[in-house]
Amino acid sequence: MLNESNLFFIFLSAFLINNILLIRFLGLCSFIGISTNIKSSIGMGIAVIFVTVMACSISWAVYNLLLVPFHLEYLRTTTFILTIASFVQFEEMIIRKKLPTLYRAFGIYLPLITTNCAILASAFLGIDYKFSFIQNVFFSLGISVGYCFVIIVFAAIREEIEIAPISESFKGVPIAFIIAALMSLAFLGFKGLFKL
Amino acid sequence: MKKLIDFKVFLKGIWKENPILFIMLGLCPVLAVSSSVKDALGMGIAVIFVLTGSNFVISSIKKIVPSYVRIPVYIVVIATFVTITDYTLAAFSPQIHRNLGVYLPLIVVNCIILGRAEGFASKNNILNSILDGLGMGIGFSLIIFVIASIREIIGNGTFLSRSILGVSYNPFLIMIMPPGAFLVIGLLIALKQRIEKGGKEKC
Amino acid sequence: MNKKEIFTGIAVITFICGLSGYLLAQVYKTTKPKIEAIKRIEEEKLNKEIFPEAVKFEEKEINGIKYLSVLNSNNEEIGKIFEVKTLGYGGYIYLKVGIDKENKIKKVKIKEHNETPGLGAKITQDSFLNQFIGKTKENIYLKKDKSNGRIDAITGATVSSRAIVDGIRKLLEDIGEKIN
Repeated sequence: MLNESNLFFIFLSAFLINNILLIRFLGLCSFIGISTNIKSSIGMGIAVIFVTVMACSISWAVYNLLLVPFHLEYLRTTTFILTIASFVQFEEMIIRKKLPTLYRAFGIYLPLITTNCAILASAFLGIDYKFSFIQNVFFSLGISVGYCFVIIVFAAIREEIEIAPISESFKGVPIAFIIAALMSLAFLGFKGLFKL
Repeated sequence: MKKLIDFKVFLKGIWKENPILFIMLGLCPVLAVSSSVKDALGMGIAVIFVLTGSNFVISSIKKIVPSYVRIPVYIVVIATFVTITDYTLAAFSPQIHRNLGVYLPLIVVNCIILGRAEGFASKNNILNSILDGLGMGIGFSLIIFVIASIREIIGNGTFLSRSILGVSYNPFLIMIMPPGAFLVIGLLIALKQRIEKGGKEKC
Repeated sequence: MNKKEIFTGIAVITFICGLSGYLLAQVYKTTKPKIEAIKRIEEEKLNKEIFPEAVKFEEKEINGIKYLSVLNSNNEEIGKIFEVKTLGYGGYIYLKVGIDKENKIKKVKIKEHNETPGLGAKITQDSFLNQFIGKTKENIYLKKDKSNGRIDAITGATVSSRAIVDGIRKLLEDIGEKIN
């Protein structure tokens, strides 16, 4: 499906056309949970960009340098989840030690990321599309920037909705989904972008 | 002392602690593969299998696993079941396997499964853990089935690929496209909140 | 944490990983031939729909264009099947195009696509695809794009229709230049 080698194309497609949250429905648990205020959304968004790009590069290397040469492709799911989980732990330790200011800003979001399916999904998709290493970096960057962008915009809308007079039954999560539906509708419009 | 077999454990997953409507975990596959009833059923069966299987194994090994390595062990167990499901489905129903795509291996990070492993199976006996896995899995499948039915009937005029609204029906396409998924689940949760409040509505 | 606990931890995790690896290897070994067989059968089914009288398909390549040579029961070539990749509205569309001995289109089938359900997805319907049968490259334009075009676009899915038309015409031009 996506074997255009153009890096910009890959980035844009992952960012807008196949937006991970609104079109592919991945990483929704954190999306609905965190997006109640802008500040934590920004923290989460940045943490996701950082972890996704690193984790995808590592998984790519593990798959292509370790699993493929030994014909162990069927261990993909197991190794990826373990790689990502231990990588996030490792990263948390390093950031806490070396960059305490950064840690205070978004350290608390790191453990949440392990169970964020967006990251595992980008690792899988990068493999499924048979990307080269550089393409994979741009792909994961596109996915995570898309996540970051949407969660911040979404949080901004939700902060306004909090004070709006809405029906009791729709308060909280239901209205969030309705907003997501409208945003998703807007993002569908990007689909024709291929022809530009 | 808890009972050896407690059927309430089974029933609570279906409504009272329904993983989708009440705890709101594991939403991703519910939205992603609910555009056709057939795919939704495939996903439901896969989740029931993985959830029951991993609950069973985790409950049986809970005594020998030291607590500081339990999370990695659970993840490995779950990933094993997911991969087994993945390959079995590819061999027996390639059509559904293709439609589920990346969402099938992603069951591994589905919060419901690790949540039940940590929250229930690691503390309860084997039989109850199996019942819990079945109950939660069926609760999950019911919701995904309902959402998929609504989306397929309104968005495509069909149910299980059979036309039920006749040829003159002009399908409301947006329902089988991504926005429809958000819309349906939003309305369902709103309905649930309304039922809980006993229909007392104030604006 | 004492030494014994660390040791049990390592032992348990190694044991579980080993067991999981072994199980998966077994599952992989049993399902792999089946998965491959299914893929072959699906591919063959599509090819047979294009050339029902075919007995054998052979992979060949001329001047960088790969195709399947279609053979009948007398081992004579009755046509060729080409795969075409073209950019539609929602990503690439993969087509199989059957060409008969006179270089006319025998049949077109969609192998894979990602078009909008209900609109672009109608490209898989025979009412659209059968328009290509017997056409030559001069006629393969949308009626609304060129006066000698003979293909009706699907209502509401011009981009998808045009993608297929362009893909097939380009294939015929390539064949004209490089094969004959």
